[in-house]
Amino acid sequence: MATARSEHAFVDKFPDEAGVIKATFLVAFVALGIGAFFGLIQALHRTNVVRVIDSADYYTMLTGHGVLLAIVFTIFFLCGVFHWATARSLDRPAESKLFSWAWVGLMLTGTILATVAILGGLVPSLGMSADVLFTFYAPLQAHPIFYIGLAMFIVGTWLAGADWFLSYRAWRKDNADERIPLQAFMVLTTMIMWYISTLGVAVSVVFFLIPWSLGLIESVNPLLTRTLFWYFGHPIVYFWLMPAYLMWYTVLPKLAGGRLFSDPLARVVFVLFLLLSTPVGIHHQYLDPGIAEGFKFIAMTNTMFLLLPSLLTAFTVVASVEHGARQRGGEGYLRWLGALPWRDPAFTGMALAGAMFAAGGFSGMINAGMNINYLIHNTLWVPGHFHLTVGTAVALTMMAGSYWLVPQVTGTKLYSRPIGLLQVIMWFVGMVFMSNAMHRAGLAGIPRRTAEPQYQNFEFLTPIGSIFELRVQIALGGTLLFLSVVLFLFNILLTSLGEESERPVDAYLPEPLSGPEGSPRILDNLAMWTGIAALLVVLAYTLPLAGIIQNGGGLFGGGLPVPATVSAGLDFVLMTVTSAFNTLLGVVA
Amino acid sequence: MPADAASKSGSGQSEPPVDSIVGTGDDGIVREIEHDDFDPVGTLVLVLIYMAILLGMWVFMYFVEFLGRGLTVVG
Repeated sequence: MATARSEHAFVDKFPDEAGVIKATFLVAFVALGIGAFFGLIQALHRTNVVRVIDSADYYTMLTGHGVLLAIVFTIFFLCGVFHWATARSLDRPAESKLFSWAWVGLMLTGTILATVAILGGLVPSLGMSADVLFTFYAPLQAHPIFYIGLAMFIVGTWLAGADWFLSYRAWRKDNADERIPLQAFMVLTTMIMWYISTLGVAVSVVFFLIPWSLGLIESVNPLLTRTLFWYFGHPIVYFWLMPAYLMWYTVLPKLAGGRLFSDPLARVVFVLFLLLSTPVGIHHQYLDPGIAEGFKFIAMTNTMFLLLPSLLTAFTVVASVEHGARQRGGEGYLRWLGALPWRDPAFTGMALAGAMFAAGGFSGMINAGMNINYLIHNTLWVPGHFHLTVGTAVALTMMAGSYWLVPQVTGTKLYSRPIGLLQVIMWFVGMVFMSNAMHRAGLAGIPRRTAEPQYQNFEFLTPIGSIFELRVQIALGGTLLFLSVVLFLFNILLTSLGEESERPVDAYLPEPLSGPEGSPRILDNLAMWTGIAALLVVLAYTLPLAGIIQNGGGLFGGGLPVPATVSAGLDFVLMTVTSAFNTLLGVVA
Repeated sequence: MPADAASKSGSGQSEPPVDSIVGTGDDGIVREIEHDDFDPVGTLVLVLIYMAILLGMWVFMYFVEFLGRGLTVVG
């Protein structure tokens, strides 16, 4: 449709891509609505405020909440953002419209299968359930279609990545000497990280969990599936986070009225995430028996390195926002904060999300430390932490970003800025109540992942406040968060149903203050960074995995015999790596 | 970048902000600040505040979790 905006609007320039993005956003937002509703039920149930379900069904709600929000909402939205960022920054449509719709269809089919399996838990007569929580490893077992659905979903994301790499290859043919545009660079490095990290969960699901749930094998090695899950389960944190970072680096400075402080620094951050985010998963297993303390210590050290790109991001993004404030007349050490566009829900939402992420950094450092982790492991502290990170830094950035992105793909103006502003503030306030109470409840020892967080003849004690007060805060926070999602969905629905506008959004992104021309070209050498990332994974995981397989009853656990060729191969790998490691130690000494 | 150049015409800098439009931050720019003129001293202040809170939280945690209880991890 030719309108006055045709020269610059994304929807007119890339109509097919806009269609794909709208579809991914639609699935993401439906998942957000259902997942948030499950979250409300859980918050009220656990705190004993309102109980509308049996406690046995709590785990169905918990699984649905985790899978629909932490996997479906985040990753579908991510796919939309990456599709937009690739087309926009490379200034070209996808190579094949059919291929783009193929990965959308595959991911959606997988999502439907997994969701049906989860919701089947509410209808016992169906004989189908998947109450395995977001952390779907053995010994909890789900219906096969849950795992099959997840496998289809993951393969769909692989195809989505291939779509963006094909665009990049075509762009490279026409631009042999150009630096990779920053947004495309962020998409590609994120997807390389994703390919490497999803190998673990693919092996776990395809070779162990699906055959096990179908009854083809009698048992699995639980520690092996657990380790393979966390091999993927921590990098997925960065898979959620990196699209939020993409928006903080490339969109937030513009919303603040400024420019990105440093393009090279942004590239360094994404390369560091590619290298460092996968060889750390064992830090989720500090309390697991069967993994030597030394490997846990290595995982802890690697995890602490991961603080570096996040701290670099804190500096770069805040400096970029400060640049915007000073261009808008801001002065002083802190008075410049008042010159920021706080009435813009897209800006305010992202800024509050960043502030919450800084708070999540506090608890993240506690989680990462081997000794202090023992105090809070499997307590409500951990959900408190990830509701600050994925639940706010990522989810609130995605919702706030939607106020700027959705008009670009629909061609309609945002229905209401005040409602948007109220929504992002309500999310922030709700999360302050809920996550601060969760952290403190964790310090008091209240367990997570349970519908009945109380024991007979035992009373939890808090150093400050009371358990009653914490429960009220969790219930209040959960209610505010749900209402915030309702407002968001209402605003986005009416936005998408609105009339087309000549100027739906100000889509221009300014150039960085310091561009890529001053940074070393080696930063764009994706093949080299991929090789180094793979090498770090081999170094971090070969010995622990070999030990888990050898000491945990073989590949399939339960004392079942491992085929001789596999066993001999594992012995050979273990001996070779141990020998090489000892030689290396000898050389170093 | 071509995409930026293409979308620049839509920056709206010459148009007044409309209430329901988001992303109009650049409309309020009163002065252009280039790289060499920008000293992010406010960022330094915020980072120092963050570090001070971090230090305070660690000290608080020490009092809450360790003081008077003896070492529980080693020995």
